[in-house]
Amino acid sequence: MSDLAVNAPAVAPETDVAAPRGPRPTRALSRRNIILYGTLIVVAVYYLLPLYVMIMTSLKGMPEIRLGNIFAPPLEMTFEPWVRAWAEACTGLNCDGLSRGFWNSVRITIPSVVVSIAIASVNGYALANWRFKGADAFFTILIFGAFIPYQVMIYPIVIILREMGLYTTLSGLVIVHSIFGMPILTLLFRNYFTSIPEELFKAARVDGAGFWGIYFKIMLPMSLPIFTVAVILQVTGIWNDFLFGVIYTKPDNYPMTVQLNNIVNSVQGVKEYNVNMAATILTGLVPLVIYFVSGKLFVRGIAAGAVKG
Amino acid sequence: MRSLAERVYVWAILLSGVAFAASRIGLLGDAGWLHWLFLAAALGAVAVLAVEANGLKFGDNRLRRYALGWIIAAAVALVLWAFGQKQVQEALPFLTAQRRIWGALEPFGLYLAGLFLTFMASLLVIGTLDPIADRPRPIERTLIRRLPAKVAAVPMVMVALGIFVGATLWTVYHSFTSSKLLPKSDFVGFDQYERLWATNRWIISIENLAIYGVCSLTFSLIIGFCLAALLDQKIRFENTFRTIFLYPFALSFIVTGLVWQWLLTPEFGIQKIVRDLGWTNFTFDPLFNADIVIYGILIAGLWQGTGLIMVIMLAGLRGIDQEIWKASRVDGIPMWKTYLFVVIPMMRPVFITALVLIASGIVRVYDLVVAQTSGGPGLASEVPAKYVYDYMFGGQNLGQGFAASTMMLLTVLVVLIPWAYLEFGGRKRV
Amino acid sequence: MSSISIRELKLNFGSVEVLKQLDLEIEDGEFLVLLGPSGCGKSTLLNCIAGLLDATDGQIFIKGRNVTWEEPKDRGIGMVFQSYALYPQMSVKGNLSFGLRNQRMARDEIEQRVSRAAEMLQIEALLDRKPAALSGGQRQRVAIGRALVRDADVFLFDEPLSNLDAKLRSELRVEIKRLHARLANTMVYVTHDQIEALTLADRIAVMRHGIIQQLADPHTIYDRPANRFVAGFIGSPSMNFLDGNLVRNGSAAAFDLAGQRISVDGYRANGGDLNGGGTAVLGVRPEHVTIQAQSRPDQTIEATVDIEEPMGADSLQWLRVGDQQLSVRKRADVQHEPGSTVHLDFDLAKASLFDANSEQRL
Repeated sequence: MSDLAVNAPAVAPETDVAAPRGPRPTRALSRRNIILYGTLIVVAVYYLLPLYVMIMTSLKGMPEIRLGNIFAPPLEMTFEPWVRAWAEACTGLNCDGLSRGFWNSVRITIPSVVVSIAIASVNGYALANWRFKGADAFFTILIFGAFIPYQVMIYPIVIILREMGLYTTLSGLVIVHSIFGMPILTLLFRNYFTSIPEELFKAARVDGAGFWGIYFKIMLPMSLPIFTVAVILQVTGIWNDFLFGVIYTKPDNYPMTVQLNNIVNSVQGVKEYNVNMAATILTGLVPLVIYFVSGKLFVRGIAAGAVKG
Repeated sequence: MRSLAERVYVWAILLSGVAFAASRIGLLGDAGWLHWLFLAAALGAVAVLAVEANGLKFGDNRLRRYALGWIIAAAVALVLWAFGQKQVQEALPFLTAQRRIWGALEPFGLYLAGLFLTFMASLLVIGTLDPIADRPRPIERTLIRRLPAKVAAVPMVMVALGIFVGATLWTVYHSFTSSKLLPKSDFVGFDQYERLWATNRWIISIENLAIYGVCSLTFSLIIGFCLAALLDQKIRFENTFRTIFLYPFALSFIVTGLVWQWLLTPEFGIQKIVRDLGWTNFTFDPLFNADIVIYGILIAGLWQGTGLIMVIMLAGLRGIDQEIWKASRVDGIPMWKTYLFVVIPMMRPVFITALVLIASGIVRVYDLVVAQTSGGPGLASEVPAKYVYDYMFGGQNLGQGFAASTMMLLTVLVVLIPWAYLEFGGRKRV
Repeated sequence: MSSISIRELKLNFGSVEVLKQLDLEIEDGEFLVLLGPSGCGKSTLLNCIAGLLDATDGQIFIKGRNVTWEEPKDRGIGMVFQSYALYPQMSVKGNLSFGLRNQRMARDEIEQRVSRAAEMLQIEALLDRKPAALSGGQRQRVAIGRALVRDADVFLFDEPLSNLDAKLRSELRVEIKRLHARLANTMVYVTHDQIEALTLADRIAVMRHGIIQQLADPHTIYDRPANRFVAGFIGSPSMNFLDGNLVRNGSAAAFDLAGQRISVDGYRANGGDLNGGGTAVLGVRPEHVTIQAQSRPDQTIEATVDIEEPMGADSLQWLRVGDQQLSVRKRADVQHEPGSTVHLDFDLAKASLFDANSEQRL
């Protein structure tokens, strides 16, 4: 049952390492190359266009937007929409901008990432090295749980959190993120720890290290790459979450995505498209920066995290 | 007799833990004492063993070290309990600040103290029964061997059973009740489902999901594979292209939905640009046309998700033996034929993986719709996930929400079970 | 007193019986080699002794103490693994001292033991390096050192030389032998390499399918294998097996090979009944057959010369007897014409006769 949740985690790391394997390339300006690169460039433009339009719109004033063309670069560049989006945009009666949502998201993301990774790494380690009766059964349930629509489970969790007095609090949301991050992270860590030679674990046992000794002194120092992957995976996943944020928190604690949606889709007042786009970029900025900085590791993370859906 | 007593003990302990957890989240209602009953049963089993042991020996008891550990643990738990008592809090001023925390921990303290004392008693008895372990029996195996690993797995077991199984079953059960504002437990059969399928909004949601699902599956697989095949041609700037194709995946559905909402706004977006170019009759307003709104959402969904499929496909292509290409060149087979008849069949597992990923994502589509159209115009872009949310948290009609979410679960199972069967049914688990 | 004593040990993985009712007594200071093909259970047995696998049934005693259910660290063992299993993030010194630090030993005692082990294995210069900066041979020395510092009663080696190239392997083999001579600890050594087994062992236990086929000193194993499996597994080039019948030749028993008879007078039987007749297999090593020009009645067998495989100092001559093949080791300078007929003289004192059905030595 080990590789249940998909072959992706197993193959994905190869992506960047293996050399391209297609047929041998021909001369630089052959017909084939023109078609090949032409197609790729057209597709790339399609993928980049929304980002470009977002940035351009966010740098224009409203009059220019009403007159002009969304693809045109701004005639008069202004950063005011950004300032307004960050500090003044309104959701309902609150007009303190996205900054509040940003800090909420930070306060949600950091503990969620730490807690979920701590639990899942220990779990993965226990599953990989200390197999005990019944462990595989629970692990299978856990992985299948990754595919169950969240909608089936959200209401009972509301009840549980309410009983614990954590409903609508940030700690409640942290617990929810830890729960739903568990399947994929456990799988990730389990597979990683399984790939560490078993003899190393045996040697440590002969040397008298116990469960926690081996985890902290042998396994952790060897697992920096997988922890990085897990952090990337969780930060982007939790930052981008909308459903749990809107269900398990109250307006004061709304994460950035929920607040962004409320700002942009609010029905009152005049639509300020430039402010909306600036707010949208601001919300997407954290995962985008992580994506462009981490590159390969991100690819590994999403390929593994893709089961999360 | 002994073996039976040991098994009774282990099961009683497990059940008492489950009962305690259930009572903490209010599941048991009046039967909040049930965990004590099970604990008492466990103690009874220990007593049976003690009779057999004929008195306790502490001096040469091989398990006394562990018994000592449990008594210390029980003492700690008792202190926790004591800190939750009013009199103690009044006597020790440093406790009053976090009174709420101590109060919340109090029942755990008491229960754990009882549990740990039972553990201690059982180990002392077992240690007396066999002064040398020839073979650890059930109690020793559960309480001593690999205990840290078991403790570490407690969160996993709780989540797997409590949330993924427990919560799912709870919802499925309550979909057969007449729950409205609050969950009720009266059984009304398939009433909720009949009402669900008679609701226009649900039918629209299902149709939308079907269209979105079929198109999303087809286009994701085709585009993802084609992009991967293009990138696999030993091209320059492969990394740049891949980075570009994949970056939307880093963005949330909310951001994706809002960007495409802007791009597809008729007054400013693509429609206006094309009209400005001279085609004044050009119409492209998917988000405002009830007939095609779902395709507007599809465009955004594909833009966000195809990069991932491409990465998976690319990994699959790189995993294929390079000799295939040499062989097909030697045989003079055109490249497209090689892809179609050789490479794609070889990539079957990769396709299945991608398929399962896309499919399990489709059922959950929610944020994208909320951000892009909020279900409009009218009800034209409603999806099941939104139906569930609106009825559970907006419409105060829990029963409908439960029934709808159970239908979603059913849809996933329809995809998941054949896949699991194909993937794992054939071969034995390792 | 025996150092390790294994009684009726059983181990199942699911429904597969990996070890079946295994009994084994290992003497104090003995060098015992567990030898067998892969999957025979030898490594499993070693892991059971180490406490890394839980036995399904049976007992293991080390120094008279029942350790069947003890933790590996409490068994007084040191273990060396095939893949070295050095902790990559620790220096050589860290690797050597890890076990001692886990025992909370005093720092100068650790220091002392580490430097003694390092000196013994000539790795003093490497103490501050990381394992990644070491060669294969150096890594295995460190791995041995890690077992050494523990001052264990029993050393367990799990195919320690398999990952090394041939030259290093023979070097380290000698070193392990020297170490054993110097420390006089009990050592249990798992290998599939018969050369290692024959050179190192005081006694060899040949295993197959979770059962010890023969437990004896290397000479006995080589000269008087208990069954056909052991006979075929040990020795290179491997033993010849010739199918034939045991017959009565006058008053004495004889082996009938496709109509030709040789007397089995010189054969050292294991107590088997040679006079009972019936089919049997004659096992004889290539070096225990000589090629003669003249035939001698009841002593030699006629064979046809086939191809020759030169092996340096000597060469292997292939011959045919009826429809059976056999090889003979001979001096490289003696030539035989292919197709010609020669006479083979078997050294029956060093040959083995196996029952054709039970494959046990007669």
